[in-house]
Amino acid sequence: MWAMAMKELRQMRRDRRTLAMMILLPVLLLVVFGYAASFDVDRVRTVVVGPLAQEVAGGLPDRLQVVETRADLGREGAVEALRDGEAVVAVVTGANGDAAILVDGADLFSARSVVTELRGRPELPAPEILFNPGLDTSTIMVPGLMGVVLVFVGTIATALGVVRERQSGTLEQLAVMPFRPRDVLLGKLLPYLGVAAVDLVVIVAAGMLLFDVPFVGSPLVFALGAVAFLFVTVGAGVLISTVSETQGQAIQLAMMIMLPQILLSGLIFPLQAMAAGVRWIGYLLPLTYFVQVARGVMVKGTPIDALLLPLGMLAVLGLAVLGLSIARFRRDLAPAGRRHRHDEVATVGAGAR
Amino acid sequence: MSDLAVAHGASRRFGDLLAVDDVHLRVGAGEVVGLIGANGSGKTTLIRLLLGLLPPTAGQVRLFGEPPSRHTRARLGYVPQSLGLYDDLTVAENLAFSAGAFGVHDTAALQGDLAAVRDVLVHELPLGLRRRVAFAIALGHHPDLLVLDEPTSGVDPLQRARLWETIRASAEDGAGVLVSTHHMSEAEQCDRLLVLANGRVAAEGTMDEVVGGTRAVEVRTGRWEEAFTALDAAGLPVSLVGKALRVPGADREAVGRPLAGAGVDADLGIVPASFEEAFVVLAAGRAA
Amino acid sequence: MSAAAGRWGVDGLGVRYGGRAALDDVTFEVAARSVAAVVGGDGAGKTSLLRALAGTVRPSAGTVRRPDDRRIGYVSAGPGVWADLTVEENLDFAGRAYGLGAGRLRSRTAELLERTGLGEARGRLAGRLSGGMRQKLALAMALLHEPALLILDEPTTGVDPVSRVELWRLVAGAAAGGAAVALATTYLDEAERAATVLVLDQGRALLAGTPDEVLAAVPGRVVEAEARPQGVPAWRRGARWRAWSPDGSPLPGTTEVAMDLEDAVVVAQLAREQRSAA
Repeated sequence: MWAMAMKELRQMRRDRRTLAMMILLPVLLLVVFGYAASFDVDRVRTVVVGPLAQEVAGGLPDRLQVVETRADLGREGAVEALRDGEAVVAVVTGANGDAAILVDGADLFSARSVVTELRGRPELPAPEILFNPGLDTSTIMVPGLMGVVLVFVGTIATALGVVRERQSGTLEQLAVMPFRPRDVLLGKLLPYLGVAAVDLVVIVAAGMLLFDVPFVGSPLVFALGAVAFLFVTVGAGVLISTVSETQGQAIQLAMMIMLPQILLSGLIFPLQAMAAGVRWIGYLLPLTYFVQVARGVMVKGTPIDALLLPLGMLAVLGLAVLGLSIARFRRDLAPAGRRHRHDEVATVGAGAR
Repeated sequence: MSDLAVAHGASRRFGDLLAVDDVHLRVGAGEVVGLIGANGSGKTTLIRLLLGLLPPTAGQVRLFGEPPSRHTRARLGYVPQSLGLYDDLTVAENLAFSAGAFGVHDTAALQGDLAAVRDVLVHELPLGLRRRVAFAIALGHHPDLLVLDEPTSGVDPLQRARLWETIRASAEDGAGVLVSTHHMSEAEQCDRLLVLANGRVAAEGTMDEVVGGTRAVEVRTGRWEEAFTALDAAGLPVSLVGKALRVPGADREAVGRPLAGAGVDADLGIVPASFEEAFVVLAAGRAA
Repeated sequence: MSAAAGRWGVDGLGVRYGGRAALDDVTFEVAARSVAAVVGGDGAGKTSLLRALAGTVRPSAGTVRRPDDRRIGYVSAGPGVWADLTVEENLDFAGRAYGLGAGRLRSRTAELLERTGLGEARGRLAGRLSGGMRQKLALAMALLHEPALLILDEPTTGVDPVSRVELWRLVAGAAAGGAAVALATTYLDEAERAATVLVLDQGRALLAGTPDEVLAAVPGRVVEAEARPQGVPAWRRGARWRAWSPDGSPLPGTTEVAMDLEDAVVVAQLAREQRSAA
């Protein structure tokens, strides 16, 4: 029995990926639950509009952090500001008493903390909750979960698909066949992209039918965000496959990438509630931006010009990850530069390389 | 010479399939016995019967005079084709594990170039060295019977000869060795062969006895491609050796006719069949 | 470079992986209508040579003469069949990859299924085939497009004797049909069947030529005895010992034997070992 235990211990010491998982994961969870897991939002971004904006701004509770005062805007402008994500609370001041406090119900936890706060301030108007009047959790969770599904299909399925080729030894066979590396890659990815698209449609439909999740905005913008996000996740999948020898390793790596995204992207715990030191990690994760796009379009009807930042980030990340993974993949598939059409090929050695 | 392993009329049935059918086998101390069979011949099942991994459904299997058990396993050394080494452990660690498992404390120290690589991870070793490590470990607990599955496949002739030195040395020390193989280069190294086909013993004896009188027709011609096509089309098992063609198990006339029909002029000669050719003829005969 | 006559091969080939030289100054010729064998143990460089010939690794020195991709058929040591696809689906994929039209694909598939005896297994998953049948499938896939150059990496290692004979028949058939065949093997008796042989040892050429030329090139004589002969290089063969007398002088207590290719390689390897130890 001891011989067995000794052997396992020695093997475990050498299995770096499993070790990383066993050590890094607890560290990650510690960080998350220590600094990131909080539903209490201390400071909520607020804009104040209307003729009395300047005066009112000073008298608001501390929790409402005034980022802008716009005397020139009225109620409509306030609603737009919320819709575009510029602020979570809009205080509308009116000369003739049509004052109002508008709250973005899509930013669920911020909204809840504002509502609670204002209950203790009866002199202020009762808050009106826009976009998600019932403060339903499912309404904002379902769009986020779509992102999780896309990460799953995009990253894990893609990684497995490519690693399977390497593991079974057929990658070498492919390298000899008259395929261009891009044929192989695109041909491999297309089915997964198709499945991801179908998954997305099914979840949106289920969300709308079963959970009353609204779809207020433009499907086109949503599709744009989804496509950009898929580029990133699929690119990550291919990248993982280029550094994994077996499917087991691929899954381990994919899990290590997926877990932080779920925990730190604002999907569950709001970004604003995280300590600043941890929040920046969230801003590096693609899921963060997709969640912004999905929630914005579905729940609030945010137009494309207000979503340029998240879409832009997804595009940049997508290009970077996909570019890197294609470069590495090509190296596996066509090292000798073989595209020729003549009958005879004479490859002259490149000397010391 | 005492028998270390004996199968007496052993049979093993899986449902409708009779994988091993009335097989007699014995391995004595100091001899190297080769077990040859195609896929599906029952070779693997027979080995599992001998190792005690499966009970026979008829007949008897005896290891060191008793039915296979955990006790007899301690006197057995087995090297599967996959070598049974842990790739992510060093040579020394593999040896330590095996010693611990067999409860042996006085393992022979690693010799020569094996000693030089004792701290190297197994997956970094070339195949030849890996095989030698697997042998050294199997011999580590001084077994009386060695069962080796394709012990020298994939290595060059010199390494093969060196591996056989080790195998022969243990036979000379008194161990019995059973080698399971597909290949002539290993079969010819054995003292005695047992050929299995369809679960039964198709032939038994030395290499010469097994190949026996099997003959082949050798065809020499300047137009070998046409000769080949003609013979192949006639359904004959023709193969190409250098620039000559060979048809095992056939007679001059059966070969001459299609050649004449194709208008190919050729010299025909009768030659002894090779081991593979004899085996194929045996296996085909058994299937009938 | 008379590629028009169908002579492919490598000249002075060098291949490096990272800092390590897998092949050094190797020359190997493959002519149409014949089988050229490259022999060597694990790590000798056979696979590297075949890969350079197929174009999947870049040489660090020397030249490679090979036809266009579409005229090469390659069977990797492995072999390269897709386990989750059926026999038929594998052939379909290979056929499409090589650009065969639907009609030609159908007829070639039917022909090859018959020649390989895989007709009855056409709907079976490739992962469930025996080793010998899988190799036959891989060979069929490589022959679909009737390649000018057929490259086989250890096609019979681990394959049962019956399938091995059938594979040889298929390979000979390809050569009869006009292909140039390059074949890597660890088995000397298989190499003896080839028209030309190249023996590699640690990335360098050890012996080369037709089997007869290779045998003739080994000096001295090989003898056999019951006990290990002293003072000369000796090795085990079966129950007896063989030894090499470099200058051909007879050794006491031994009988001469006809040298075969395996003996020749062992002698050459031993000679090389002695030279590098000196």
